[in-house]
Amino acid sequence: MKEGQKILGSSLMGKEENYLKKELYSLIKKDSGLFDFLQEAALDGLWFWDLKEPENEWMNAKFWTTLGYDPNQMPHKASSWQDIIFSEDLKHVYANFAKHSEDPSCPYDQIVRYRHKLGHTVWIRCRGIILRDDYGKPTKMLGAHTDITEIKEKEEELKLKSAFFKQVIDGTDLGTWQWNVKTGETIFNERWAEIIGYSLEELKPISINTWMNHADPRDLEKSNALLQDHFSGKTPVYECEARMLHRHGYYIWVLDKGKVVSWDKDGNPEWMVGSHQEITDNKKDYERNKSFIQQAPTAIAMFDEEMKYLAASQEWFNVFKINDTDIIGKSYYSVLPEIGNRWKTSHEKCLQGEVIKNNEEQIKNVDGSTQWLSWEFSPWYTYENEVGGVIIHMSDITKIKREEELKSLLAVAEDQNKRLRNFAHIVSHNLKSHSGNFEMLLDLFVQENPGIEDDEIIKLFKTASEHLSETITHLNEVVLMNTSVDENLTVLNLNEAIDKTMESVSALAIENNVTIKNEVGTDARILGIPAYLDSILLNFITNGIRYRSDHRDSYVILSSYTETGYTVLCVEDNGLGIDLKKHRSKLFGMYKTFHNNKEARGIGLFITKNQVEAMGGKIEVESEVDKGTIFKIYMKHEEN
Amino acid sequence: MRKIDIACIIDDDPIFVFGVKKIMELIGFCESVMVFRNGNEALNNLKAIISAHEKLPDVILLDLNMPILDGWQFLDEFIKIPCKKKIMIYIVSSSVDPEDTLKAKSYERVSDYIVKPVTVQKLKDILSDIQEVS
Repeated sequence: MKEGQKILGSSLMGKEENYLKKELYSLIKKDSGLFDFLQEAALDGLWFWDLKEPENEWMNAKFWTTLGYDPNQMPHKASSWQDIIFSEDLKHVYANFAKHSEDPSCPYDQIVRYRHKLGHTVWIRCRGIILRDDYGKPTKMLGAHTDITEIKEKEEELKLKSAFFKQVIDGTDLGTWQWNVKTGETIFNERWAEIIGYSLEELKPISINTWMNHADPRDLEKSNALLQDHFSGKTPVYECEARMLHRHGYYIWVLDKGKVVSWDKDGNPEWMVGSHQEITDNKKDYERNKSFIQQAPTAIAMFDEEMKYLAASQEWFNVFKINDTDIIGKSYYSVLPEIGNRWKTSHEKCLQGEVIKNNEEQIKNVDGSTQWLSWEFSPWYTYENEVGGVIIHMSDITKIKREEELKSLLAVAEDQNKRLRNFAHIVSHNLKSHSGNFEMLLDLFVQENPGIEDDEIIKLFKTASEHLSETITHLNEVVLMNTSVDENLTVLNLNEAIDKTMESVSALAIENNVTIKNEVGTDARILGIPAYLDSILLNFITNGIRYRSDHRDSYVILSSYTETGYTVLCVEDNGLGIDLKKHRSKLFGMYKTFHNNKEARGIGLFITKNQVEAMGGKIEVESEVDKGTIFKIYMKHEEN
Repeated sequence: MRKIDIACIIDDDPIFVFGVKKIMELIGFCESVMVFRNGNEALNNLKAIISAHEKLPDVILLDLNMPILDGWQFLDEFIKIPCKKKIMIYIVSSSVDPEDTLKAKSYERVSDYIVKPVTVQKLKDILSDIQEVS
């Protein structure tokens, strides 16, 4: 026992400076009641084992109550606890005992599990010391139990929790980081490194510079600004989309999120924790959408939930006359205050998931002009299937509307034209029958009544009948004029046609003393219809003769020149001329006459103009009263 | 100068018919005149004449614009009827539409296209035509 006490003493009484301690020790030696109190109050079990008689072991009451047993029923035998300790822990107990008994410097200290009487596990820290005889041979062993179940349970709980979080983090593929803002000390998880193509080992030594070196400098600037916002309390969390350079040389996108979790006593951020989520695909999708929208040929724009611009097409700027194209991130309502606010409720509905459209909406612009818009608001969805914002598609259909109006006008005109033609056709045909009958009956009447043709009334009757027939013939000519004769055009020699016409009017020309000159080149050719050309030439030449001036030697000169796609025939006379100021608008009208000429019917120029136009040409006129007139007849050049 | 036996006028305009008959009388165009007021009437009667082996007209003056069966429809039907006698057919119409004149030319059986009004001279021309042919 002496030796044992020595050992005990060396460990417990190393410093003897305090008198109270000395007194306590001597008191304990004298009064066993104090020891009783100590072993009851400070320990969860005390045991004393006889190593010579290993079956005998004394255990105090607390030993058993800690494990849920009644001390009075438990024998002071080593076997009694060996039955309730976990068998695998008992092996450790033996092993440690063996080590300690061999080498006293190796402490007997272990954590073991007992089965509580009620079935649950009791964690016990079991410490012991072997008492040896003078020869160093183990004789007795003293041990103490401390119940650490509560700590163990907490530990288990923590282990479970951390395993759970690890599982969660691994499952979400999140890279994690912890950063000491003050010291720059940084901890990443394996995934953090993996996102950029490395292992943690390869990135060593790890510090905040590991992040700085791999992040895109453009985004680092933005990230730092956002961090400052968070540090100063402006934002509850730090959040930033940033590019990082991957090991293989390309950039990937991460969503970097974090929060300060501890602050120093001066209120400066200390530890910050956060995560990296790879969003390259999302980002690429977005970039693709953005470039698609930018290049769309229609007015289209994409907005986030706050109606801020994410992208807009060039046409969008055109339709809304937006000059400042730097609008990404700006609010729809601030860019287009006038137009925007009217649609506000529609946008809100759209953000709830509704598609709203209007096929035509008339808009009065500030400058007073009218615009027709066709628009559609449709929500776009994020990967989480939530409305991410609105896509607005807008077309300026003003032009189409105008064209529609024109088309309907054209349809009305066409319809009227058709009815007019139909009407004219019927009228001319029926009139012709009637006037024909008139002529025939008159003819018969004269035949049956010889001598009556000299009667004044019969004479006038005949003239009236002839004029009626003539008018109807003209009317018919107009009606039958085909407007689409393009395919029927043939190459005609202008010079020859003029010569032919001159021959047929030569008697009239001589009678009226008018000189007609054909100065058109022999190779001048046009594309036209022979009958029309003859009619046109005849009309202009006879007009020249008819409206001659009696005060001078009259002439009609025909010449020609070419002008981009046309052969232009000039018919010049030195006749009466036409007061174009008064008559230009009705010069080519039907039944318009401008001189007191008895023969004038007012139909010639009308028909001529129609014929020229039917052949794809046009007529221009220059004239001065009592000087003369030049008609320029544009006809298709033969090469067309 | 040999006279035509029977002339046939197919026209719905009584004034025209009256006028033409008068002119025919005046110039001694034919012995007798047959008048039908439309293509249908003409077709039925001419068919009856053929099957009864009675005398057919030597010349037909055919109007185009008529009710029930117009001039073209009459022509299409009439040329299908087998007939030994050669009948001269003249289209006599107010229409100056080139489409009509062209169409008339496409019928082999149509001798000529005469634009109304019919005058003494025009009928005399027809008469001499027929006498030349026969």
